[in-house]
Amino acid sequence: MYDTTGAWGRCLLYLFLLKGMAINMEKIFEQALLYDFYGDLLTEHQRQVYESAVFDDMSLGEIASEQGISRQGVHDLIKRCDKILLEYEAKLHLVDRFTKAKQKISQIEALTQGGDKKDSAEALSERLREIRDLTKDLLDTL
Amino acid sequence: MAVKIRLRRMGQKKAPFYRIIVADSRSPRDGRFIEEIGTYDPSTDPSTFKIDEEAAKKWLANGAQPTEVVGKLFKAAGIEK
Repeated sequence: MYDTTGAWGRCLLYLFLLKGMAINMEKIFEQALLYDFYGDLLTEHQRQVYESAVFDDMSLGEIASEQGISRQGVHDLIKRCDKILLEYEAKLHLVDRFTKAKQKISQIEALTQGGDKKDSAEALSERLREIRDLTKDLLDTL
Repeated sequence: MAVKIRLRRMGQKKAPFYRIIVADSRSPRDGRFIEEIGTYDPSTDPSTFKIDEEAAKKWLANGAQPTEVVGKLFKAAGIEK
């Protein structure tokens, strides 16, 4: 896969701290995830338009001229796809379950790392207990 | 030639990840781009992004148009025209 380290001399790494902004920014991410899970359930035409918007970050005008439909038509189609995908999610919860499982797995990973040799036997067994609880939760989300 | 700064999705299914690219507005889908100036990874918590500030400023000064999402990333990074 693509290597992100050291590609630019003077790169800066930023974190989103403003929550409102993060939510707004991540709409494209949410759409991409929904599409990954339920995109196959859209029609060919819907998929083309939705991919242009969500994968290629194309504007309504650009998609409209590519597809030979009106800008308003593209807007309505994307809105409709959002609605369809969200309806599937409301019934199947695949994205929600996936996201929760991913969180649990990274918690488990964090617990298995960063251990210290000086950790007492108690601290270690506490850690193991936490991991067992998490794996149990994880199984319940499946 | 209208030049745009936009996101392009990379990454596997269920693990979206984006490059911030500079591309000709007329060929957005053929995979070609002029320059890659950063990345945006929304699947980390919190999201992380990297931008080559100098390149971004250079392209903005030359009249490249960022898309709405890229504009927001630039704003969060404190990059203004």
